[in-house]
Amino acid sequence: MRPGSTSSACAALLHRDLLLAWRRRGDIAMPVLYALIVGTLFPFAIGPDPALLARIASGVVFVTVLLSILLSLDGLFRGDIEDGSMEQLMLAPQPLALLVGMKILAHWITAALPLIVVAPMLASMLRFPASAMPVLVLALLLSTPLLSLLGAVLVALAGGARRSGMLLALMLLPLCVPVVIFAAGAVSAAQQGLPWAAPMAWLGAGLAMAVVLGPLACAAALRIAMDT
Amino acid sequence: MANWVPLWLHRLSSPQTFYRFAGAVRPWALGLALVLGAVALYGGLFLAPADYQQGDAYRIIFIHVPSAWMSLFIYGVMTVSAFIGLVWRIKLAETVAMESAPIGAAFTLITLVTGSLWGKPMWGTWWTWDARLTSELVLLFIYLGVIGLYHAFEDRRQGARTASFLALIGAVNVPIVHFSVNWWNTLHQGATIRLLGPSHMDSSMIWPLLLMMVATKCYYVASLFARVRADLIAAESGKAWVRDLALGTQERA
Amino acid sequence: MSESLAMGHYGFYVWTAFAVFFIVLLIDSLAPVARRRRNLRDLRARLVRQENRRRPGTPPSNESHP
Repeated sequence: MRPGSTSSACAALLHRDLLLAWRRRGDIAMPVLYALIVGTLFPFAIGPDPALLARIASGVVFVTVLLSILLSLDGLFRGDIEDGSMEQLMLAPQPLALLVGMKILAHWITAALPLIVVAPMLASMLRFPASAMPVLVLALLLSTPLLSLLGAVLVALAGGARRSGMLLALMLLPLCVPVVIFAAGAVSAAQQGLPWAAPMAWLGAGLAMAVVLGPLACAAALRIAMDT
Repeated sequence: MANWVPLWLHRLSSPQTFYRFAGAVRPWALGLALVLGAVALYGGLFLAPADYQQGDAYRIIFIHVPSAWMSLFIYGVMTVSAFIGLVWRIKLAETVAMESAPIGAAFTLITLVTGSLWGKPMWGTWWTWDARLTSELVLLFIYLGVIGLYHAFEDRRQGARTASFLALIGAVNVPIVHFSVNWWNTLHQGATIRLLGPSHMDSSMIWPLLLMMVATKCYYVASLFARVRADLIAAESGKAWVRDLALGTQERA
Repeated sequence: MSESLAMGHYGFYVWTAFAVFFIVLLIDSLAPVARRRRNLRDLRARLVRQENRRRPGTPPSNESHP
């Protein structure tokens, strides 16, 4: 039997992962609900003052999105490692980095995209000005893939560990500091009517680098973590 | 196999030889650290004059700055040995990387605590979101992540390799964090407090500082070797030399 | 001497900083010594147990070299 082409393997894997996610639609809704609930807690905690809420809205949205993605990342490779399909992927003739990249893409579509859809709603609940909303969505579009890629590398590392939930947070959150700074920085600059192109460009540069290096690092991490 | 590595280095990477070597070097390194540290701190605390701007509070510099240097230096050592361990699969390099992490975390913690103890009388606040302080805090978190990941695995070898990879990722990330926090600081002008650099340092302030730097390096060697020895015994407990060692200490006790 | 120990008005900060430095490093340097001793003790106990299993009836003693 001749091995299929790389592109068809990638497409098949993407299709499989999306199908699997679609069969468990409830799991997709969980991070979204989590983000909404965490977001609504803030006005209760700090009071309903619109000016104050508008000031912290972008930060709240980014931290909430980050935490929701963290929540959904935990199971990214677990099913595949447990049922042995990860070994199949590693033995496949196609480069592991590409296949892993497809898995990350599928994760981003199922976990981050719904968050980006509800983020404007969450932001406007927090009195975020509508004029800066496109910048918020753009920043989310650039920063969530970065978080997915960065998180996937760490999930791959923690895959073989006994307990990974809190550990993942401990590893991921310090590494996310630059992403949060630039994403929230761009949005708050836009909110104040300042130029926001520079931080957005840094985010884009980071994303370009992560798209290339992330899957490679993730594949290397998986090989290390699965190597027993 | 490794003809570019000097022969003694190659032989040193065998656990038993390294155990003996570390045991022989450790007391000397520790003694040197104690003597040099005592001289440096005496010089810094009693001989050096008070700073004209900061009074006596600046004397925290003699532990703060060497600790800060060590926190970065140890991260460098950890990264290099993690890389060596991952690429050439040298067990000793993995052990050195993993046993460096707690020492690095200790120095980072000291840097943060002494920094805020210095900041309180100087800036009037325990903590400021300055680029250097924030990077140091992130560095502490990364150290803790490496330690946590290492201990989360049943198999120490696998834990060491995974945590080594995390250390490499952190090494890429720390400069980016520093850069981004710097950028963030220029955005939020109000939060920046001008750090008081030692405006002009007398030579009577310089030499204790440099001596303290050497002393902390010696301390690192001593502590690292003690940790590696403890680790080697646990990792090699099935080997004959460790068994002899265990029974030997029993006879002596 | 007591004047220089007071460190101007900053004695509290300076001495707390030094105390932190020494306490943290003391813990750091004692931990591996204790760990090595514990590892050796565990190993010794295991070896004695193995020896007893091999020759039941003989009490654990120092002469029971393998």
